[in-house]
Amino acid sequence: MLAFANLGTQTSDLLPAGKTQLRESVQDGARALETFLAEVERKAFRIAQIALRHESDALDVVQDAMMQLAHRYASRPAEEWRPLFYRILENRIRDMQRRRIVRQRVMSFMPWRADEEEEGPDPIDQAADSGPTPAAQIESDQMMRSLEQALQQLPARQREAFLLRNIEGMDVAETAAAMKCSQGSVKTHYFRALQALRAKLGDFAT
Amino acid sequence: MNNPTDDQAFERRARQLLLDSAEALPAVTRSRLTRARYAALSSRPSWSRRLSRHWMPAGAGALAAAVVAVMFVVMPHGENPAVNPLVGATPEDFEMLADSEAVQLGPDDEVDYDFYEWAASEATGASAPSIGS
Repeated sequence: MLAFANLGTQTSDLLPAGKTQLRESVQDGARALETFLAEVERKAFRIAQIALRHESDALDVVQDAMMQLAHRYASRPAEEWRPLFYRILENRIRDMQRRRIVRQRVMSFMPWRADEEEEGPDPIDQAADSGPTPAAQIESDQMMRSLEQALQQLPARQREAFLLRNIEGMDVAETAAAMKCSQGSVKTHYFRALQALRAKLGDFAT
Repeated sequence: MNNPTDDQAFERRARQLLLDSAEALPAVTRSRLTRARYAALSSRPSWSRRLSRHWMPAGAGALAAAVVAVMFVVMPHGENPAVNPLVGATPEDFEMLADSEAVQLGPDDEVDYDFYEWAASEATGASAPSIGS
Protein backbone atom coordinates (compact mmCIF):
# COMPACT_ATOMS: atom_id res chain seq x y z
CA MET A 1 0.00 0.00 0.00
CA LEU A 2 2.70 2.41 1.03
CA ALA A 3 4.70 1.58 -2.06
CA PHE A 4 1.66 2.24 -4.22
CA ALA A 5 1.01 5.60 -2.53
CA ASN A 6 4.63 6.58 -3.04
CA LEU A 7 4.42 5.60 -6.68
CA GLY A 8 1.75 8.26 -7.29
CA THR A 9 3.89 10.96 -5.68
CA GLN A 10 6.95 9.93 -7.62
CA THR A 11 5.05 9.92 -10.91
CA SER A 12 3.66 13.41 -10.33
CA ASP A 13 7.18 14.63 -9.54
CA LEU A 14 8.61 13.08 -12.67
CA LEU A 15 5.99 14.07 -15.25
CA PRO A 16 6.58 17.85 -15.44
CA ALA A 17 10.35 17.44 -15.66
CA GLY A 18 10.06 14.83 -18.38
CA LYS A 19 7.54 16.95 -20.26
CA THR A 20 9.78 20.02 -20.20
CA GLN A 21 12.80 18.02 -21.20
CA LEU A 22 10.97 16.42 -24.09
CA ARG A 23 9.61 19.77 -25.25
CA GLU A 24 13.09 21.30 -25.23
CA SER A 25 14.61 18.35 -27.05
CA VAL A 26 11.91 18.54 -29.73
CA GLN A 27 12.50 22.28 -30.18
CA ASP A 28 16.25 21.70 -30.45
CA GLY A 29 15.54 19.02 -33.02
CA ALA A 30 13.40 21.43 -35.05
CA ARG A 31 16.18 24.02 -35.06
CA ALA A 32 18.76 21.42 -36.07
CA LEU A 33 16.52 20.18 -38.85
CA GLU A 34 15.98 23.70 -40.18
CA THR A 35 19.73 24.31 -40.19
CA PHE A 36 20.31 21.05 -41.99
CA LEU A 37 17.68 21.75 -44.66
CA ALA A 38 18.98 25.29 -45.21
CA GLU A 39 22.44 23.86 -45.69
CA VAL A 40 21.51 21.21 -48.25
CA GLU A 41 18.61 22.78 -50.16
CA ARG A 42 20.61 24.59 -52.88
CA LYS A 43 22.93 21.69 -53.55
CA ALA A 44 19.97 19.32 -53.62
CA PHE A 45 18.22 21.63 -56.04
CA ARG A 46 21.23 21.66 -58.39
CA ILE A 47 21.46 17.86 -58.26
CA ALA A 48 17.76 17.59 -59.10
CA GLN A 49 17.97 20.27 -61.77
CA ILE A 50 20.88 18.57 -63.53
CA ALA A 51 19.09 15.21 -63.42
CA LEU A 52 15.66 16.50 -64.46
CA ARG A 53 16.63 19.49 -66.63
CA HIS A 54 13.58 21.32 -65.36
CA GLU A 55 13.49 23.94 -62.64
CA SER A 56 9.92 23.49 -61.40
CA ASP A 57 10.23 19.71 -61.31
CA ALA A 58 13.53 20.08 -59.46
CA LEU A 59 11.87 22.35 -56.89
CA ASP A 60 9.02 19.87 -56.50
CA VAL A 61 11.29 16.91 -55.80
CA VAL A 62 13.43 18.89 -53.37
CA GLN A 63 10.32 20.00 -51.49
CA ASP A 64 9.00 16.44 -51.45
CA ALA A 65 12.30 15.15 -50.10
CA MET A 66 12.35 17.83 -47.41
CA MET A 67 8.80 17.04 -46.35
CA GLN A 68 9.45 13.34 -46.27
CA LEU A 69 12.53 13.81 -44.13
CA ALA A 70 10.77 16.24 -41.77
CA HIS A 71 7.65 14.14 -41.46
CA ARG A 72 9.09 10.67 -41.13
CA TYR A 73 12.73 10.85 -40.15
CA ALA A 74 13.06 14.03 -38.07
CA SER A 75 13.27 11.94 -34.91
CA ARG A 76 16.25 9.98 -36.26
CA PRO A 77 19.77 11.03 -35.17
CA ALA A 78 20.99 14.10 -37.08
CA GLU A 79 23.98 12.17 -38.46
CA GLU A 80 21.56 10.01 -40.44
CA TRP A 81 19.72 12.92 -42.07
CA ARG A 82 22.17 13.59 -44.90
CA PRO A 83 22.27 10.08 -46.44
CA LEU A 84 18.53 9.67 -45.79
CA PHE A 85 17.71 12.98 -47.44
CA TYR A 86 19.75 12.25 -50.56
CA ARG A 87 18.32 8.77 -50.81
CA ILE A 88 14.81 10.22 -50.69
CA LEU A 89 15.82 12.87 -53.22
CA GLU A 90 17.18 10.29 -55.67
CA ASN A 91 14.01 8.21 -55.31
CA ARG A 92 11.91 11.29 -56.04
CA ILE A 93 14.04 12.12 -59.07
CA ARG A 94 13.56 8.60 -60.42
CA ASP A 95 9.80 8.77 -59.75
CA MET A 96 9.62 12.07 -61.61
CA GLN A 97 11.57 10.66 -64.57
CA ARG A 98 9.23 7.66 -64.72
CA ARG A 99 6.17 9.90 -64.62
CA ARG A 100 7.60 11.95 -67.45
CA ILE A 101 8.10 8.87 -69.60
CA VAL A 102 4.50 7.80 -68.99
CA ARG A 103 3.24 11.33 -69.66
CA GLN A 104 5.22 11.54 -72.89
CA ARG A 105 3.75 8.23 -74.06
CA VAL A 106 0.23 9.37 -73.29
CA MET A 107 0.78 12.77 -74.85
CA SER A 108 2.14 11.20 -78.02
CA PHE A 109 -1.41 9.91 -78.63
CA MET A 110 -2.88 13.37 -78.05
CA PRO A 111 -0.84 15.80 -80.15
CA TRP A 112 -3.37 18.61 -79.69
CA ARG A 113 -2.71 18.50 -75.93
CA ALA A 114 0.98 19.14 -76.36
CA ASP A 115 0.43 22.78 -77.29
CA GLU A 116 -1.75 23.33 -74.22
CA GLU A 117 0.92 21.92 -71.96
CA GLU A 118 3.55 24.26 -73.32
CA GLU A 119 3.96 27.10 -70.91
CA GLY A 120 5.79 30.29 -71.66
CA PRO A 121 8.75 31.23 -69.54
CA ASP A 122 7.96 32.79 -66.21
CA PRO A 123 8.81 36.52 -66.54
CA ILE A 124 10.05 36.57 -62.95
CA ASP A 125 12.40 33.70 -63.69
CA GLN A 126 13.67 35.56 -66.71
CA ALA A 127 14.41 38.73 -64.78
CA ALA A 128 18.08 39.53 -64.52
CA ASP A 129 19.71 38.67 -61.23
CA SER A 130 21.76 41.25 -59.44
CA GLY A 131 24.99 39.24 -59.68
CA PRO A 132 28.04 40.52 -61.52
CA THR A 133 28.50 39.44 -65.15
CA PRO A 134 32.14 39.95 -66.12
CA ALA A 135 33.83 38.03 -68.91
CA ALA A 136 35.16 35.51 -66.40
CA GLN A 137 31.64 34.85 -65.26
CA ILE A 138 30.52 34.20 -68.83
CA GLU A 139 33.37 31.78 -69.35
CA SER A 140 32.54 30.06 -66.09
CA ASP A 141 28.89 29.82 -67.10
CA GLN A 142 29.88 28.20 -70.40
CA MET A 143 32.04 25.68 -68.60
CA MET A 144 29.23 24.95 -66.20
CA ARG A 145 26.85 24.36 -69.09
CA SER A 146 29.35 21.96 -70.69
CA LEU A 147 29.76 20.11 -67.41
CA GLU A 148 26.01 20.00 -66.89
CA GLN A 149 25.42 18.58 -70.36
CA ALA A 150 28.13 15.98 -69.86
CA LEU A 151 26.64 15.03 -66.49
CA GLN A 152 23.20 14.67 -68.04
CA GLN A 153 24.57 12.14 -70.51
CA LEU A 154 25.95 9.91 -67.77
CA PRO A 155 24.06 6.86 -66.47
CA ALA A 156 21.99 7.85 -63.43
CA ARG A 157 24.08 5.99 -60.86
CA GLN A 158 27.35 7.44 -62.16
CA ARG A 159 25.91 10.95 -62.14
CA GLU A 160 24.54 10.39 -58.64
CA ALA A 161 27.91 9.24 -57.30
CA PHE A 162 29.74 12.13 -58.95
CA LEU A 163 27.33 14.80 -57.71
CA LEU A 164 27.04 13.51 -54.16
CA ARG A 165 30.77 13.37 -53.80
CA ASN A 166 31.50 16.71 -55.45
CA ILE A 167 28.55 18.96 -54.63
CA GLU A 168 27.71 17.55 -51.25
CA GLY A 169 31.30 16.58 -50.42
CA MET A 170 30.32 13.15 -49.13
CA ASP A 171 32.99 10.52 -48.61
CA VAL A 172 32.70 7.03 -50.07
CA ALA A 173 30.91 5.59 -47.01
CA GLU A 174 28.31 8.39 -46.88
CA THR A 175 27.75 8.17 -50.61
CA ALA A 176 27.24 4.41 -50.31
CA ALA A 177 24.65 4.98 -47.54
CA ALA A 178 22.84 7.59 -49.63
CA MET A 179 22.89 5.41 -52.76
CA LYS A 180 22.08 2.27 -50.79
CA CYS A 181 24.91 0.30 -52.34
CA SER A 182 28.35 -0.95 -51.36
CA GLN A 183 31.38 1.29 -51.12
CA GLY A 184 32.97 -0.71 -53.91
CA SER A 185 30.04 0.13 -56.20
CA VAL A 186 30.39 3.81 -55.34
CA LYS A 187 34.07 3.72 -56.26
CA THR A 188 33.29 2.00 -59.54
CA HIS A 189 30.46 4.41 -60.43
CA TYR A 190 32.59 7.38 -59.51
CA PHE A 191 35.64 6.22 -61.45
CA ARG A 192 33.56 5.57 -64.56
CA ALA A 193 31.85 8.95 -64.25
CA LEU A 194 35.17 10.71 -63.95
CA GLN A 195 36.58 8.89 -66.97
CA ALA A 196 33.49 9.64 -69.06
CA LEU A 197 33.46 13.31 -68.10
CA ARG A 198 37.13 13.72 -68.84
CA ALA A 199 36.69 12.00 -72.17
CA LYS A 200 33.85 14.39 -73.06
CA LEU A 201 35.24 17.60 -71.66
CA GLY A 202 38.88 17.13 -72.57
CA ASP A 203 41.09 19.79 -71.03
CA PHE A 204 38.17 21.28 -69.16
CA ALA A 205 40.25 21.49 -66.01
CA THR A 206 43.10 23.58 -67.39
CA MET B 1 44.85 5.88 -68.50
CA ASN B 2 44.47 9.40 -67.17
CA ASN B 3 47.05 10.98 -64.96
CA PRO B 4 45.82 10.98 -61.32
CA THR B 5 47.03 14.55 -60.91
CA ASP B 6 44.94 15.60 -63.88
CA ASP B 7 41.99 13.72 -62.39
CA GLN B 8 42.35 15.63 -59.14
CA ALA B 9 42.57 18.95 -60.97
CA PHE B 10 39.48 18.02 -62.97
CA GLU B 11 37.59 17.12 -59.80
CA ARG B 12 38.60 20.36 -58.10
CA ARG B 13 37.44 22.42 -61.06
CA ALA B 14 34.18 20.53 -61.42
CA ARG B 15 33.49 20.81 -57.69
CA GLN B 16 34.14 24.54 -57.72
CA LEU B 17 31.84 25.07 -60.69
CA LEU B 18 29.05 23.01 -59.13
CA LEU B 19 29.29 24.76 -55.77
CA ASP B 20 29.39 28.18 -57.43
CA SER B 21 26.30 27.33 -59.43
CA ALA B 22 24.50 26.21 -56.25
CA GLU B 23 25.44 29.44 -54.49
CA ALA B 24 24.53 31.63 -57.46
CA LEU B 25 20.95 30.48 -57.79
CA PRO B 26 18.50 33.21 -58.82
CA ALA B 27 16.74 35.00 -55.99
CA VAL B 28 13.39 33.58 -57.09
CA THR B 29 14.67 30.03 -56.82
CA ARG B 30 16.22 30.71 -53.43
CA SER B 31 12.94 32.15 -52.24
CA ARG B 32 11.02 29.11 -53.44
CA LEU B 33 13.48 26.82 -51.69
CA THR B 34 13.04 28.78 -48.48
CA ARG B 35 9.26 28.45 -48.75
CA ALA B 36 9.65 24.73 -49.44
CA ARG B 37 11.80 24.41 -46.33
CA TYR B 38 9.23 26.14 -44.12
CA ALA B 39 6.48 24.00 -45.59
CA ALA B 40 8.51 20.90 -44.78
CA LEU B 41 9.20 22.06 -41.23
CA SER B 42 5.53 22.82 -40.64
CA SER B 43 4.64 19.30 -41.74
CA ARG B 44 6.80 17.96 -38.94
CA PRO B 45 4.77 16.42 -36.09
CA SER B 46 4.33 19.07 -33.36
CA TRP B 47 5.95 18.65 -29.96
CA SER B 48 2.57 18.38 -28.22
CA ARG B 49 1.51 15.53 -30.53
CA ARG B 50 4.84 13.83 -29.97
CA LEU B 51 4.50 14.48 -26.25
CA SER B 52 1.08 12.87 -26.08
CA ARG B 53 2.35 9.96 -28.18
CA HIS B 54 5.32 9.63 -25.85
CA TRP B 55 3.34 9.69 -22.58
CA MET B 56 0.19 7.90 -23.76
CA PRO B 57 1.51 4.36 -23.13
CA ALA B 58 2.96 5.41 -19.76
CA GLY B 59 -0.37 6.93 -18.73
CA ALA B 60 -2.30 3.87 -19.83
CA GLY B 61 0.10 1.62 -17.93
CA ALA B 62 -0.19 3.71 -14.76
CA LEU B 63 -3.99 3.67 -15.00
CA ALA B 64 -4.05 -0.10 -15.42
CA ALA B 65 -1.72 -0.52 -12.44
CA ALA B 66 -3.94 1.74 -10.34
CA VAL B 67 -7.06 -0.25 -11.22
CA VAL B 68 -5.36 -3.53 -10.38
CA ALA B 69 -4.07 -2.11 -7.11
CA VAL B 70 -7.55 -0.87 -6.12
CA MET B 71 -9.05 -4.27 -6.87
CA PHE B 72 -6.51 -6.37 -5.02
CA VAL B 73 -4.94 -4.14 -2.43
CA VAL B 74 -7.33 -1.40 -1.37
CA MET B 75 -10.70 -3.23 -1.46
CA PRO B 76 -11.07 -5.86 1.32
CA HIS B 77 -12.02 -9.33 0.13
CA GLY B 78 -15.32 -9.29 2.13
CA GLU B 79 -16.52 -6.30 0.10
CA ASN B 80 -15.49 -7.70 -3.14
CA PRO B 81 -18.68 -8.33 -5.11
CA ALA B 82 -16.86 -10.73 -7.33
CA VAL B 83 -16.31 -13.23 -4.48
CA ASN B 84 -18.50 -16.36 -4.88
CA PRO B 85 -20.77 -16.69 -1.75
CA LEU B 86 -20.88 -20.50 -2.10
CA VAL B 87 -17.15 -20.80 -1.62
CA GLY B 88 -16.60 -22.35 1.83
CA ALA B 89 -20.23 -23.53 2.28
CA THR B 90 -20.66 -26.79 4.20
CA PRO B 91 -22.94 -29.73 3.13
CA GLU B 92 -25.33 -28.79 5.98
CA ASP B 93 -25.85 -25.40 4.42
CA PHE B 94 -26.89 -26.99 1.15
CA GLU B 95 -29.25 -29.38 2.99
CA MET B 96 -30.92 -26.51 4.79
CA LEU B 97 -31.39 -24.63 1.55
CA ALA B 98 -32.86 -27.73 -0.15
CA ASP B 99 -35.23 -28.64 2.76
CA SER B 100 -38.80 -27.75 1.78
CA GLU B 101 -39.95 -27.82 5.46
CA ALA B 102 -37.26 -25.57 6.66
CA VAL B 103 -38.09 -22.19 8.16
CA GLN B 104 -39.47 -20.01 5.48
CA LEU B 105 -37.53 -16.80 5.09
CA GLY B 106 -40.02 -14.95 3.02
CA PRO B 107 -41.76 -11.59 3.31
CA ASP B 108 -43.43 -10.66 6.64
CA ASP B 109 -47.02 -11.23 5.45
CA GLU B 110 -46.24 -14.89 4.81
CA VAL B 111 -44.79 -15.55 8.29
CA ASP B 112 -47.11 -17.36 10.75
CA TYR B 113 -46.31 -15.48 13.94
CA ASP B 114 -48.99 -17.43 15.96
CA PHE B 115 -47.15 -20.65 15.26
CA TYR B 116 -43.84 -19.24 16.50
CA GLU B 117 -45.61 -17.91 19.65
CA TRP B 118 -47.15 -21.32 20.39
CA ALA B 119 -43.87 -23.14 19.71
CA ALA B 120 -42.04 -20.84 22.11
CA SER B 121 -44.58 -21.39 24.88
CA GLU B 122 -44.48 -25.17 24.39
CA ALA B 123 -40.71 -25.12 24.64
CA THR B 124 -40.79 -23.22 27.99
CA GLY B 125 -43.70 -25.38 29.35
CA ALA B 126 -45.97 -22.45 29.98
CA SER B 127 -49.36 -22.65 28.39
CA ALA B 128 -50.11 -19.64 26.40
CA PRO B 129 -53.38 -17.93 27.19
CA SER B 130 -55.85 -18.75 24.60
CA ILE B 131 -57.09 -15.95 22.54
CA GLY B 132 -60.42 -14.70 23.71
CA SER B 133 -60.22 -16.35 27.15
